[in-house]
Amino acid sequence: MPAPPPTQDELYREVAETYDAALERLARAYEADAEARRDLLQDIHIALWRSFEGFDGRCSLRTWVYRVAHNTAASHVLRQRRHKSQTLVGLEELESVPDHREGELTADRRQALERLMELVQTLKPLDRQVILSYLEGLDAASIGEITGISPGNVAIKIHRIKNILARRFQEGGRHGE
Amino acid sequence: MANESPPNDRLKSVWQNQPSEGIRMSVDEIRHRAGKFHKKIYWRNALEYVASLAVVVFFAFEFWRTTDALTRVGFGLFIAGLVYIVGQLHRKGSSRSLPAEMGLASGLDFFRRELERQRDLVGSVWSLYMGPLIPGWVVLMVALARTNPGHLRLIGLSFTVFNLFAALVFVLIWRLNLWAARRLQRRIDELNVLQGQR
Repeated sequence: MPAPPPTQDELYREVAETYDAALERLARAYEADAEARRDLLQDIHIALWRSFEGFDGRCSLRTWVYRVAHNTAASHVLRQRRHKSQTLVGLEELESVPDHREGELTADRRQALERLMELVQTLKPLDRQVILSYLEGLDAASIGEITGISPGNVAIKIHRIKNILARRFQEGGRHGE
Repeated sequence: MANESPPNDRLKSVWQNQPSEGIRMSVDEIRHRAGKFHKKIYWRNALEYVASLAVVVFFAFEFWRTTDALTRVGFGLFIAGLVYIVGQLHRKGSSRSLPAEMGLASGLDFFRRELERQRDLVGSVWSLYMGPLIPGWVVLMVALARTNPGHLRLIGLSFTVFNLFAALVFVLIWRLNLWAARRLQRRIDELNVLQGQR
């Protein structure tokens, strides 16, 4: 006899256990303010728990989790942009604009993380989804499934991300050009 | 495509191993907070409906009290406009994405849908939320002038000044919304290009 499908609570517990740290990193990438970030993370957890009521296994659990988390965070960014006049840029623009700290040595992990976070937070939501998925170690096919961007476009975006990261974080800079 | 370079591996490691704040929530806590969220939405909607109902009751009372047929028509049109606006608010409010839909929609689809929803909302402020009140307002103004012929000049002057000011505000809001809708459409077009290349 096949095992009964996991309940909403069981799915949530499994996800909270497995993706706890990844969800916290995701919230951090979307919200710089500590208090607002806690609220966003809470919203993501609530959205996930509620979403499992309708989870039918049409996609993998990982894809589902990242979609709900990114979409909740994207809504948050859209809401925030009505209050903050923050200009977000795409990977294309970021690739063509030189950074004043380009080529600076970032041996210190904390400093590297701060600069990385700063870079991620300037990106438009969809490009932010791609770079975050890339940094989380997801492959191009999974990134395509989460974001809905074609495999060809994901490949182009990852290429741009690699160029940007190489230029901004590699000693001596201007690699990958 | 550029090969995976050691610095990028290092950056992935820096990213994945960043210190955690260790924020955790139990299922009971989630359920409690989700319940609180639902209650908040329920009370916000209830407040909106009660406020609308109070306005409708006020106009219905005036409708019943007045003996002038044209004034009655004005109040009737005003009530109809209000009921229509409340209906629209209810419909728009319930069209927000549910969490399960968020899991089914890719980032691209979800983001475009949200932008389209915002565009339709700002694009329809005039026709859905202001326009329905205008017929009742105009009829009431005409009825007021007709039933007070002794004060026709004064009523006519204040009618003109007030309506000019209201028209100016309406046009300004309309222009701002048009500009916002165009900006949102440009962003939707960008996403459509990405979608078209699937």
